[in-house]
Amino acid sequence: MKKYFSAILVCLLIGGNSCKNLDVMPSDAISTETLITTSDGLTNALNGAYALFKDHISFNGVVDNNNMYLRQFYHLSDFASDDIVCGQVTTDPLFYSFSLDHSPSQGNTRYFWYLSYKIITGVNTVIDAVEKSGTQDPVKQQLLGECYFLRAFCHFNLVRLFGKPYSIDPASPGIILRTNLTDPSQKKRSTVAEVYASVIADAEKAAGLMTQPRGVQYASKEAAWALLSRVNLYKEDNQKAIDYANMVINSGRFSLTTSATYPALFANAQTSPETIFCIAFTAVDDYGKFGSIASMIYSDGNSGWGEEYASSSLRNVMSKHPEDVRWSYIVPLKDGSGTVQKKNGIEVYYISKFSFQGGLPNLSSPIMFRLSEMYLNKAEAEAKMSNNSAALDDVDMIRKNRGLTGSLYNRTLPSGYTALDVVLEEKRIEMAFEGHRTYDVYRNKRSLNKAYWGYHLAGLKETDIDLSKTPTGYANLSVSYTSPRIIYFLPIDETLSNPQATQNQ
Amino acid sequence: MKKVVLLCCCLLFSLAGIAQTATVTGTVISDADKSPLIGAIIAVKGSTVTAVTNNNGQFTITIPAQKATLVIRSIGFVTKEIAVVANQKLNIVLSDDVSQLNDVIVVGYSSKKQSELTSAVAVVSSEKLKDVTANNIGTMLQGKVAGLQVVNSSGAPGSAPEIRLRGVSSVNASQSPLVVVDGVIGGNYDPNDVESITVLKDAGATALYGSQANAGVLIVTTKSARSGDTRFEFKATSGFRTADFGKLDVMNSAELYDYQKEFYRDYIVGATDNSYKIDLIKFYGERPLSLLDQDYDWSKESFKAAPVNNFYLSASGKTEKNSYYAGVSYYNEKGTFMNTGFQRVNLRANSTYTFSKKLSVTNNINLSASTGKSYDYMDVYYSFLNMPWDNPYDASGAAVYVDGNSTFKWWSRDKINPIHTVQNSDHPYKGFDLNYDFALNYNITNWLTFTSTNRLSAGFNKGTNYFSPLVAGNYHATGYIDELNTLNYGGISNNLLKFNFQLGDHSISGLAGVAFEGGQTEYSGASGKGLPEGLRVLNVVSNNQLVNGLTDKRYLQSALSQVNYNYKSRYFLSGSFRVDGSSAFPKENRNAVFPSVSGAWLASNEDFMKDNNIVDNLKLRLSYGITGTQDIGSSRYLGLYSLTTQYNSVTGAVPYQLASPNLTWESKHQINAGIDIGLFKRVSLTIDAYRNNTKDLLLQVSQPLSVGFETKWENAGNVINKGIELGINSTNIKTKDFEWNTDFTINFNSNKLYGLTADIVKTGSWSISQIYRNGGDLYEFYMPKWLGVDAQTGAPMWEKLIYNEAGVAVAKEKTFNYSEATIQESGSALPKYQGGFNNSFTYKSFNLRVSTYFNYGNKVFSNNLRFMMNDGHEPYYNQIKLPDDAKVWSGPGDTGATEPSPQNSANSTETSTRYLKDGSYFTIRNIAFSYGLPQSIVQKLNFKAITVGITADNVATFSNFLGQDPQTTITGGSFATPGVSDFKYPNNRQYLFTVNFSF
Repeated sequence: MKKYFSAILVCLLIGGNSCKNLDVMPSDAISTETLITTSDGLTNALNGAYALFKDHISFNGVVDNNNMYLRQFYHLSDFASDDIVCGQVTTDPLFYSFSLDHSPSQGNTRYFWYLSYKIITGVNTVIDAVEKSGTQDPVKQQLLGECYFLRAFCHFNLVRLFGKPYSIDPASPGIILRTNLTDPSQKKRSTVAEVYASVIADAEKAAGLMTQPRGVQYASKEAAWALLSRVNLYKEDNQKAIDYANMVINSGRFSLTTSATYPALFANAQTSPETIFCIAFTAVDDYGKFGSIASMIYSDGNSGWGEEYASSSLRNVMSKHPEDVRWSYIVPLKDGSGTVQKKNGIEVYYISKFSFQGGLPNLSSPIMFRLSEMYLNKAEAEAKMSNNSAALDDVDMIRKNRGLTGSLYNRTLPSGYTALDVVLEEKRIEMAFEGHRTYDVYRNKRSLNKAYWGYHLAGLKETDIDLSKTPTGYANLSVSYTSPRIIYFLPIDETLSNPQATQNQ
Repeated sequence: MKKVVLLCCCLLFSLAGIAQTATVTGTVISDADKSPLIGAIIAVKGSTVTAVTNNNGQFTITIPAQKATLVIRSIGFVTKEIAVVANQKLNIVLSDDVSQLNDVIVVGYSSKKQSELTSAVAVVSSEKLKDVTANNIGTMLQGKVAGLQVVNSSGAPGSAPEIRLRGVSSVNASQSPLVVVDGVIGGNYDPNDVESITVLKDAGATALYGSQANAGVLIVTTKSARSGDTRFEFKATSGFRTADFGKLDVMNSAELYDYQKEFYRDYIVGATDNSYKIDLIKFYGERPLSLLDQDYDWSKESFKAAPVNNFYLSASGKTEKNSYYAGVSYYNEKGTFMNTGFQRVNLRANSTYTFSKKLSVTNNINLSASTGKSYDYMDVYYSFLNMPWDNPYDASGAAVYVDGNSTFKWWSRDKINPIHTVQNSDHPYKGFDLNYDFALNYNITNWLTFTSTNRLSAGFNKGTNYFSPLVAGNYHATGYIDELNTLNYGGISNNLLKFNFQLGDHSISGLAGVAFEGGQTEYSGASGKGLPEGLRVLNVVSNNQLVNGLTDKRYLQSALSQVNYNYKSRYFLSGSFRVDGSSAFPKENRNAVFPSVSGAWLASNEDFMKDNNIVDNLKLRLSYGITGTQDIGSSRYLGLYSLTTQYNSVTGAVPYQLASPNLTWESKHQINAGIDIGLFKRVSLTIDAYRNNTKDLLLQVSQPLSVGFETKWENAGNVINKGIELGINSTNIKTKDFEWNTDFTINFNSNKLYGLTADIVKTGSWSISQIYRNGGDLYEFYMPKWLGVDAQTGAPMWEKLIYNEAGVAVAKEKTFNYSEATIQESGSALPKYQGGFNNSFTYKSFNLRVSTYFNYGNKVFSNNLRFMMNDGHEPYYNQIKLPDDAKVWSGPGDTGATEPSPQNSANSTETSTRYLKDGSYFTIRNIAFSYGLPQSIVQKLNFKAITVGITADNVATFSNFLGQDPQTTITGGSFATPGVSDFKYPNNRQYLFTVNFSF
């Protein structure tokens, strides 16, 4: 008995102590070293970079459905514009884009900044691995080019939101450039001019590398040219803006939608001939009411919050042409008698540019670049180079396809308008809600007139609203390009842990 | 058993030796449960004659003369002396030893007598727990152990409270004490099966648990047989619960109507022709008088009284070889909120079989199954915020369907009828859990024992969220279902050699051995839309199908040892040493050591104090030791890409975690000094002072976001917790029929952070931030300071600090511009002190216990007020009745105004100290009244004892807090910030009736 028992005892002691292999690997993640050595790892990493434009990922310990790169990409710019009106005070930080009560701790800018750099970090890892491998395989070169494109695109979107417009102060602080894996984590902000230079260099490199187009859901040579057209336009390098726009137009890959097909453009972004590059959302990326882009600005009664609308300012500009097919993305909510309903005193004109992919009210594949913009970039650059006829021709090219064949400019400026006025008004209508308006106004050193009823007016109450009058006496009725509030504060997370990053005024 | 035989022999010998004597017979029973005491020793004072009670508690003793004095002793009971005469028949009742010095206390891997303890340990017996009926031990412990903070942050059915011991000492690691059930870490049990709970507070006791004991240890011992007879106990508890809304008293129709007149004051900021009068014509135009006809009390109608039932039946018994306990309990709680509830059935069987005097084997099994219905936060949210002017029911009594297209007037901000949503959705969950314990005890020699305690555990949980296609809102017309299945399984094995020597006045005991823990959790789930009406399984979803699944593994292997020495039971010294190897760290840092040393001087055992009538117990204790933390999840040290996403239907890899190859253990260096004093055999007093320095905090150190990562796991910074705790148990009055006992506990705790490389600001939901900085507290709120209302304009004001070039604030001023306001530290969510004050009164068979709990000095952000005191920003949310001292600004010069003018209130509801309230409170936690039926009746009914009782829980809370309930979560997590009170499932008032039968 005793012997037998001692044997058990020894076994138990040894059994308990026998060194279990304590290496535990996660089941749904792989180490960075493994990733760059597996065959599909780099493709996956690049895919992941695209996915971050649409995913809700954990930030500050929370997966908040309101946190999505694209949702913030749109509301940080367009909700600050005169195209969208606020119909409801809300605790969602999107409200600060209306009220201009920016703060370094507002959740949406922090997440947008974070995700931008997460995309950049992901592509930097791929760039580093591919370049170290020395491969000349065109498929790998295409991936590499896409990475450079995404880096340029993200840096550019950041500098638009957090740095002053190039045309106003190119020497002012821009953003932190992350172009390698070796820089120290604490780093200074580059100037706006330096950021533009880096963006242009990356985009040009990208254009040269990409020879294997994978569809408009992915970056391509033409997408890089489209970006270069936009960046050079902002930089007021007008000839280059025209040249790159022409390269896209002449590539033959794209054509403008017509007045017949335009109303279906945004619901079918992935197959539209006009799309240069879009972020693909599939049916499983339909986030519903909680966390989609559309739910902010549209509702079928149940699908969304629908608390921000097409502004009266935009509708007034468009009211000259009820036949304009671009009205198709502005959907008034009417009651039984045909009267437009109000929410908190504001007329409800929903925006449907981010709806109806597959018929679903909250699903779309947001278009980052489309052909129309190339004509308008060209037109703006031409206007600035005093080539008014060319500018008006390009504007007419758009108008022809938007149901305005009867109202073309035909190289004649309307009275009281400059060519730039014409181009900017056309662009405002054509590109409305697509994240252009505020930049177009401020970089052209214009002011934004927000003298219309909406909850961007500080302290407004429903009982104060009288739609027959123009509001007076409130703050935020007009925002000058000299206002420090045309851009956002750097996120508090950056300035606390990176003291070299100076804060905006 | 052997002892009994031996003593019987002695008795026989003594009987044989003495002639011409008289005998005395009798029965010894316990005062507490009237059960016979087996093995009690009866001695004749001044002689060597002794006797021992048999299995029925009976004894016969021979006395040397016609008169004698008997001394009756039994471990754990107060020794009694009785004068007897020849042939007397005695019925002796022994009462429990209040001083408990002889109680055997389960501490970690071994047991000790209370008198031998060298560390800060508190014991709570089932007797002191059972006044509160709950499905968890935490709620029962509230206010009963010094240093133990218990927060009932939710009243949802089946929810468990948050428990903290001696403050919060870590940032990212779990702060819940380690639970050890019957000697094995972790485990499942029913509160009815609990015999006692030991709380290990200092490192002298906890270091033996090494890396898992950072937040203290709760040792749960389940019941075992006490006496030979088979005994049954049946307890039935039945009652109901009501929701406690605290001070969240919402307006009724007329009050809201009146309040909204404020929105119509003729005041435009900056205008020169303001009359500051209310424009009643406009008001009545937009708010017709007919609104007053509709008054629906949303919160009251959504939260209704709900029944609670708990039934418990147990059997226990002991034979020479075998000892067993079996208990079954059923707990059923309906939630106060619509369509919520929880029920659980638990079965426990404990048995110990003694094969020989050397070998015994224990098999314990615990099976539990639970099921319940959870709720959707938004449904609770709307049940507070919807307006009394909306009626959720139509004329036929059916819930109204409301959505954005509804043509009838729906006043509430969002076109949602939560009652309709609840009726068309469901959030059920189910789970079962199995624990099997196998323990083996083998006495190798009379001083050396081998013990092996092992547990296999497995649990399965399933949660479902279901929305019918009929529901309004996000899932209208499509329906939605998601399911998540969680499978846990694991094993633990502890194999120890224990020794025990006695060499004259020296005694040495101790243990050494190895332990292994391993576990795995497997998750799998799916969701989809496109449900046919009436069906609710995943098989019938037709679109948006998503699947998910992952596994998580963790292993820990350890070697541990402990040595205890004492001299003459006066001087005690104890040392322990544990080595843990954890899979959570890189290879080089995988092993860590956790030593401790502790000592005690039991002064009252010294000769000079032996006969002291005032002080019957005096002990001084000192301990030092290190515990650690590794509980941060797996693989935190690796640089990782997550593969959980897709783009355009192809796998995507996303940068997920920065590598931290030097990551290592967080260690808590603990010093504790304590004194135990017993006075007049009535009062026992325990005072402990401690200083716990947690070094190398496992911290998610903020990175510049521009590196693409929020944080990196590093060992950075330290937190020191310092505190004093005091516990008093006192028998104030003790007469034949009446007894009054008082327990009082209090714990003062403070914590400070230091050694951080940079400040960390954590921003949770609703843009509420907390800052971690050197010299600051944990959970320190960080927000602009509210300065009230400008008397001239009614505008809100905040504080703006003016800094000099060195960055020091040199002046402050008021600002009307929220974005100019200085964000500043505003107080911590952790209390300065908390404790309990409990009284028990016994008169004959009547017993009354009153338990109270208090908590002082913490801040709670009452986030509900942002919606419910919103100055007209959100006119279509219902509001709370303004407190008596609150007044809305009404015109220039209104110096008494506390709330801004609705016409000039820009940003007034933004995060600021306006809604940051003092979270101090005092609560009458529980009142329990019980009555033990007289033995005459009980015996007629063939029972041993019958007790009936009524209890009331959460009777009243006294607090200045404005909001739902000052008891607010102190655990950070998804959508939860410590100290932020959000619309929560209200806590419950509970009224119960209990009947308890022993037979």
